Amino acid sequence: MGQNIRLTESAETNVLRQEQPVMETLFPQRRIILAIVASAVGIAVSWLMKIPFGLLAPMAALFLFARGRTTVLLHAASMIAMVGFLLAAAFYGGATQVLAVTWAAFFALALCIGVIAAIGASAPLVDEAVHAIRTIECMPVYTWSASPDGRSTFVSSSTLSYVGLPANEPRLFHNLDNAGWRRIVHPDDYDKIIERRRHALKAGVPYDAEYRLRRRDGMYRWVKSFGVAPRDDKGQIVGWYGTMIDIEEQKQAEVALRDRERELSQLVDMVPSHLWRLAPNGEPIFLSKRMVDFIGIDIAQMSKPGLSRLESLIETIHPDDAPAFRDALGHCLATGQEFFLRYRLRRADGIYRWMSSRAEPLRDKQGCVIQWYGLCHDIEDQVRAEVALRGSEHKLRQMIDAVPTMIWSADCNGAPTYVNRRFSDITGATLEDITAPDGSLLLSVIHPDDAEGAWRAIRNAFATGETYVQRYRQLRANGRYRWTETRAEPLRDEDGAILQWYGVSVDIDDVVTAQTALREREQELSQLVNMVPVHISRLTTTGEPTFFNKRLIDFLGLDVTEVGEPGASRLSATMRTLIHPDDSARLLETVRHSVATGEGYSMKYRMRRADGVYRWVNGRSEPLRDDEGEVVQWYAISIDIDDEMRLYKDIEEREAKIRRLVDSDIIGIVIWDLDGLLIDANDAFLRMIQYEREDLQAGLRWFDMTPPEWQQVHAQDEAKELAETGKMQAREKEYFRKDGSRVPVLIGAACFEGQSRQGVAYILDLTERKRAEAAQLQVEEALRSSQAQLQQLIKDERHAQAALQQASDKLAKATQAASLAELSASIAHEVNQPLAAIAANSHACQRWLKGDPPNLERAQLTVGRIIRDVNSAAEVVSRIRALFKQSADTRTNTALSGVIAEACNLVAEEAARRRVRMDVEVDKDLPLIAFDRVQIQQVLINLIRNGMDAMDAIAEERVLEVRVRLTGNVVQTAISDRGPGIEFPDKIFEPFFTTKERGMGMGLAICRSIVESHGGRLWVEHGELFGAKFCFTLPAELKTVS
Amino acid sequence: MTTDDYIVFVVDDDASVREALSELLESHGISAVAYTSAGEYVRADRPDVPATLVLDVELPDINGLDLQKQIADGDHPPIVFITGHGDIPSSVRAIKHGAVDFLPKPFRDDDLMRAVRAGLDQDRKMRLARAEMDALRDRYASLTARERDVLPLVVSGLLNKQAAAELRISEVTLQIHRRNVMKKMAAASLADLVRMAEKLEVPVTHSRRARDRGEL
Repeated sequence: MGQNIRLTESAETNVLRQEQPVMETLFPQRRIILAIVASAVGIAVSWLMKIPFGLLAPMAALFLFARGRTTVLLHAASMIAMVGFLLAAAFYGGATQVLAVTWAAFFALALCIGVIAAIGASAPLVDEAVHAIRTIECMPVYTWSASPDGRSTFVSSSTLSYVGLPANEPRLFHNLDNAGWRRIVHPDDYDKIIERRRHALKAGVPYDAEYRLRRRDGMYRWVKSFGVAPRDDKGQIVGWYGTMIDIEEQKQAEVALRDRERELSQLVDMVPSHLWRLAPNGEPIFLSKRMVDFIGIDIAQMSKPGLSRLESLIETIHPDDAPAFRDALGHCLATGQEFFLRYRLRRADGIYRWMSSRAEPLRDKQGCVIQWYGLCHDIEDQVRAEVALRGSEHKLRQMIDAVPTMIWSADCNGAPTYVNRRFSDITGATLEDITAPDGSLLLSVIHPDDAEGAWRAIRNAFATGETYVQRYRQLRANGRYRWTETRAEPLRDEDGAILQWYGVSVDIDDVVTAQTALREREQELSQLVNMVPVHISRLTTTGEPTFFNKRLIDFLGLDVTEVGEPGASRLSATMRTLIHPDDSARLLETVRHSVATGEGYSMKYRMRRADGVYRWVNGRSEPLRDDEGEVVQWYAISIDIDDEMRLYKDIEEREAKIRRLVDSDIIGIVIWDLDGLLIDANDAFLRMIQYEREDLQAGLRWFDMTPPEWQQVHAQDEAKELAETGKMQAREKEYFRKDGSRVPVLIGAACFEGQSRQGVAYILDLTERKRAEAAQLQVEEALRSSQAQLQQLIKDERHAQAALQQASDKLAKATQAASLAELSASIAHEVNQPLAAIAANSHACQRWLKGDPPNLERAQLTVGRIIRDVNSAAEVVSRIRALFKQSADTRTNTALSGVIAEACNLVAEEAARRRVRMDVEVDKDLPLIAFDRVQIQQVLINLIRNGMDAMDAIAEERVLEVRVRLTGNVVQTAISDRGPGIEFPDKIFEPFFTTKERGMGMGLAICRSIVESHGGRLWVEHGELFGAKFCFTLPAELKTVS
Repeated sequence: MTTDDYIVFVVDDDASVREALSELLESHGISAVAYTSAGEYVRADRPDVPATLVLDVELPDINGLDLQKQIADGDHPPIVFITGHGDIPSSVRAIKHGAVDFLPKPFRDDDLMRAVRAGLDQDRKMRLARAEMDALRDRYASLTARERDVLPLVVSGLLNKQAAAELRISEVTLQIHRRNVMKKMAAASLADLVRMAEKLEVPVTHSRRARDRGEL
């Protein structure tokens, strides 16, 4: 379009230039010569005829050739001269007048010629001018002309109509001056074109200007004004001729073009990438500004001697990447394939940055490559990100391998796709090991017992897409199975389809083991609560029972829920139904008090068993408090102490028996200490040595009573024996009575073991025996003297008999002594038992108190036990001391039958209660016997009770036979039962030997002592059919004991 | 169950002594289980941990010393005797049969605790030894019949060639067996294997020297 415009422009200019030479050759040259010739003829005529009219010729020529203002001046001058001469003719007369009229006429003629000349001159010009003007007017340009000094001489009417000036007033335009221009030229361009014009006028160079001109409609439009100044022969500027073309469209197109170009270039420069163009041979021909800025050199600087521009471009590429770049580019240039490469490019500051470069060829119609257009952009950050990503991926992989869990993944069909290293390390199985040949999952690491369950769970999970959680035993690399929990969750895509399963296996073997242990312990604990032989119940803060343990339920025969009664609190219902009526009010009161005050309680009461029997229990309750000390619950226990209560009664009974033993005064008993002091003694002993109790209290010593020949033995042997063994074998010795007489005794002693420096001694008075022995000796002596010969005869035999007798005596004594020693040892044992408990408890208490923090609760408990054991020890001691109590010796001749009847009466009630029939047969004519009524009665009752006890367990008829007969010179009493019989007939008479649960083992021992002290015998034999038969004899003629 | 677990059994017919001993042991941080009689102790289901038995001599059913004799064959814990009236023959008898101590009541807690701890130590060692022996037996049981044939020959000191000839197998086969035996028995060296064989009382049937002599 621009070219078209230019073409029309030059065509117009050519038209103008062709017309100008015609005008110049026709006018000045031939016509001026003719005028000069005519003027010369007129002057010559005027000079010859002496009339001025000849001068008209030159005047006419002047008029002819005068132009513009000169013409006006000529006319004016002629007019003035004519008027002047007319005035002179009027004022002057005569010749002057004639001359003046002549000259006036001359000038009038001259004027006429001037007018004619003007008309005549203009006639041919007008035709030409009209033609020219028509041509000009018809030309599609606005034309103008101006005088050499720049004043407008001509403006075409089209121009005038263009700017909106009246076409019939071209003069106005001719006179268009600066002010006129100012009206139609855009104010911004005015100064510029004035300057231009001035310069053109001054230098006479062609004038060319573009400016905005106001069209008639008031719009400014761009026009191009072009003026030339043709010169005449002398080189003088003839005038200015010009055209003016409306170039508004062109201008707008230009502006648009420029804008587009600027945009394009801005685009190229502003695209945040490097753009470049290469020649088909690879030489760079264009680099975008950004690229130039980046690499710091432009195309121009690339041209270095000896190096192609491509080579210098390659120099900016990282040396490691340059060969690849060169190869790739070379390959692309050769084949015309698209170029793509990533490489590091050196930035102006020397830093290499990653670039991604791409180039494509531009081809002409023949398909030849014209240029390569390339683009490369900075991907440093991307590359870094990629490196970082790769790094983090590597880290992640490391992490997955390093976490102490087994991680695996499987595809949506369950085929394993990945196991982490830990998995392989722990299980020793690789991905291949858990993959079946067909690619599916192989449960090779799962315990065969768990495999089926795991397989089911896995199939279910894969089928439903639900989370898979399973516990099983997993094979370890070492061949052991450990409990493992595996969880797997599916990863889904946006549509919810499963892409992958991810699973984690965690070793929970310790947890499972711990849980199992915990469960077992819990079970144990619950078993404990139910199995401890204690009734446990839980009460609310108001005392309502809420829980019974199994024992209690078994005991009561009902559970806590079955206790309630409508309309009554469960507490009072419990009291009413379960507690003995005599105790319920008391217990209810206690419980209410405890609940009100928060203090625990402990009391004994009777509770009804399921079978309706009330049994004694010891109930205790303690509150459970929360952190604030508020009572949350009450825990109550009750222990069945019915048997203990019975035992307590038994002990009381037994104590009574021991007391009777002491009352019976069979043996002397002394408590002594190692310093030789007699601390206490019973009356039997005091009677033996005839001391008073006051003497004892005053501080009686063995030393005082021991005869000199026994001192040595007493001080050394006995003390030594006691110190070493804790007891002293029974031995015969003598003591001084208070009166100085000697009493032969059999004495045995034993220390209370442990820290105690005390002991107990048992002394039997041997006076009677000694006396009997002495009598026997006397008889023997008499016998010996009277039967000396016989004695002599049977000397050897008698010796043997004597030896035998002696031996048997010794044996008897030894037996007695042994049983005494054992008795003392047993008593010591009775004391040692609580002492051991006290010692152990004290140490435990000390340790509880020494703890940090001290366990006061336990310490208190322990102290409670110490007190209990001390009391128990004290009880044993007091029991022994009770043995010393005196009872009057009442051994009188009495009928045994009466005593037996009395004893039977005493037990009759008990026998009836125990459903035992008493079968008593006593011979009619029994001799009177001297015996201690109380003691023998005790023996009887003891034996009868034993018999009844023995039959407790039998279902048959319970019959107890008592038979009393005189056999020879002894009265034998036999008591037979129908019980299970005696298992250890030899042992039952030993002290503390018992077959009964609650027996102390003293009864039969005491019985035997009593019977033997009466000179009788007590033994047991098997019953005729079954059961046991206890027999004791009492000599019919017993000497009274002095 | 950890190896730190241990327990003390108390057998005494006297409730207060039982109670007091349990308390004392507990105050030393040792858990105790008490039994009223020897029978109850024998019947009870006892935990399989290092233990000591504190045994009263006088018991209602059978005498403590008799119990010691009865259970002497089994793996029973070391026994500390306590007695109400101890005599020299009983104590000698008890100690002779391997009792840790024989304490007459009442005793000092130091004495009891020392005895109990000694008993626990002894039991731990015994258990360890038993466990080692069991492991050794297990390993021996894992040998094949052939390897069991090879073992005595190897520990008898026969050369591979001799042993192979003895079993009528090639020397290479014997070496394989021998290597398996070493591996299965976890023996570090032949000397180690010989020691194990001694412990297992594997009869040394062949002596190289005897064989040499026989050949001579």
